[in-house]
Amino acid sequence: MRIGARELKIEKRPSLSGWHAALISIGALLVALLLFSVLFVLAGVDPLEAYRGIISYAFLNPFGLPLTLNRFIFLLLCTNAFIIPYRAGLWNIGMTGQLYMGALAVFGVLALLGARRNGSVAVSPAILIPILLVVAAAGGAIYAAIAGALKGKYNINEIVVTMIMNFIAFWLVSFMIKEGGPFMGRGGEGESFQLPEALNAPLIAGVPFTLLLALGLALLLNFMFARTTLGFQIKAYGKSPAAARYAGINPVRLPILVFAMGGIMAGLAGYHYFAAVPGVYKITSNYGYYGDLAFYGIICGLIAMGNPIASIPVALLFGGLSIGGRYIQGKLHMSFGVDYALLGVLMITLVGFQYFYNNQIVLKTNRESLNKESLDVGVHSPES
Amino acid sequence: MWEFIARSLEASTIFTLAALGELLGQRSGILNVGIEGIMLFGATFGFIAAQNSDSYAVGFLVAIAIGALLGSLHGFFSITLGVDQVVSGMGIWILGFGLTTFIGNPYTGPLGMDRIPTVFGVSPFFILSVILVAVMWFVLSKTSLGLRIRSVGENPSVAEVSGINVARTRYMCVVVGGMLMGFAGAVYSLDYNPVWNYNFLMGWGFIALALVFFSLWNPWILLGGSLLFGFLWQLSLNPQLFLPGVFSRYIWRTVPFVITLLVLMVMSTKWFRAKWGSAKPEALGEPYVKG
Repeated sequence: MRIGARELKIEKRPSLSGWHAALISIGALLVALLLFSVLFVLAGVDPLEAYRGIISYAFLNPFGLPLTLNRFIFLLLCTNAFIIPYRAGLWNIGMTGQLYMGALAVFGVLALLGARRNGSVAVSPAILIPILLVVAAAGGAIYAAIAGALKGKYNINEIVVTMIMNFIAFWLVSFMIKEGGPFMGRGGEGESFQLPEALNAPLIAGVPFTLLLALGLALLLNFMFARTTLGFQIKAYGKSPAAARYAGINPVRLPILVFAMGGIMAGLAGYHYFAAVPGVYKITSNYGYYGDLAFYGIICGLIAMGNPIASIPVALLFGGLSIGGRYIQGKLHMSFGVDYALLGVLMITLVGFQYFYNNQIVLKTNRESLNKESLDVGVHSPES
Repeated sequence: MWEFIARSLEASTIFTLAALGELLGQRSGILNVGIEGIMLFGATFGFIAAQNSDSYAVGFLVAIAIGALLGSLHGFFSITLGVDQVVSGMGIWILGFGLTTFIGNPYTGPLGMDRIPTVFGVSPFFILSVILVAVMWFVLSKTSLGLRIRSVGENPSVAEVSGINVARTRYMCVVVGGMLMGFAGAVYSLDYNPVWNYNFLMGWGFIALALVFFSLWNPWILLGGSLLFGFLWQLSLNPQLFLPGVFSRYIWRTVPFVITLLVLMVMSTKWFRAKWGSAKPEALGEPYVKG
């Protein structure tokens, strides 16, 4: 596009700085929110009022803020569950199944200790809560490692595998908590038995301790990618699995490892939602909703461009958007699923903006063409 | 028993149509992991259109049109903009999953129209799907158009040099592929199970995606795989017909997915590859930049 002597041009981007990446992500977010306004208008709602409602409920309201923080913890863990394999060039969209497995592992240990029968356990919470964290992480890790092994050993598409494993885990949870399943609660309402009260996760200023855990893990991951050999190996494999092989990286072990690490994060997210969020403390009958929420982790991970530190503000924002979206849906009498629709619009906008990771728009004062024109005037070409 | 077989064939029709659309795109080198999203869109918009117009024809046409639109969106991202095909497909899936939940919610419930008549107890779409498999096989392996499609999927730069417009061929394949996926979604929501509920597909699209890998990119093997999975899906819904009392019904629901994983594993072993070779289009998933 030409504007006088200047020209608006799209060029290949030689490299992408952190600042540019952040600008692209913010641009994508703004465009997505603008596009989403269309849905508000179609539903007869003033978009500005809607966004004001979302933000003020999610971040300023004494009832909304704790919900946002709990969702933030969950999303941050899911985001990092996506990011670790993503840095190795692999797609983990199985956070859903992995977090179910984490939750099943927690309630499995409790059932073994008699929590379902007695409503309490004989083990001290100071010992048992750390054990529950470990089994949740292990549940997620083992389940995810299967996908990593199938990728590493047989080169089976990890997207298909993780997604299919989500469905397997979904039905397994139903089996465990419904219709006389081993974890069914006493009421038989299709929920699991209640977590014994002594084991409710300790709160710090009303927020579960998992907040510190999630933040600490994000920092740890950042350190791993920036400073350790393993982090370097993961990035090298992500750039080129074939080249990584020459650098002595085991092409079977690495996918297993990154998926297992991702699974740890997702398993902890399962612990968080079903054993640490105040007022829940069981596998609820609508557990599928929390599983669906895990897909926000993909979007957060892509917007954060695989950076665990950047994923902190992104997950906080999206936690707030999804909580606030749910709230205004009720307040403004909108159809169910505002938060789902937002998820979809954000994702597709982000895909479009991927283009700018490799290309940039530049405004050029085109001296070259100016000079050329003046030359053309002076020199007669052979045809004339 | 006959009813069970008829239902299985109907289920397999949905797998066949969706997977056939994916197969066409993949043969031209474009991977679309967003099948389930396009199916959800086709199913939801087809359902709404049919209910409002009281006409099945309108419902199916809308579903096919929305499928074409999403196919071209995937084409725009992955062919024109050169975005990673997996990212684009994931985007379409999540868009479908998110937006149809919101848009379709007021329509939750049964369609409330007379059922589509069957032909000797079998859904007419099953017959149509078999015809489409034959057409796809013929076009891909016996016509010059098919040769063009396969060559842009195998080696786009060579195809370009020999005078084939790679971008246009690929666009055509993803758009027609999208139409088939949208149609498959509408067969689900208008014929197979005419009740709208949020995220009702629960994995049909992903099994269809796996079926394309199983098929070694051959439409006839694809049909065989779809028949098998249509039967498995129906069995997982009605296990009491064959094995009453064995396992909980929830465990049965995992069976099609577990078998999908097992087949993927067997197919990826060295033994299988040595025996059958790999028919995977060489340039699948690679963005092509005209040089």
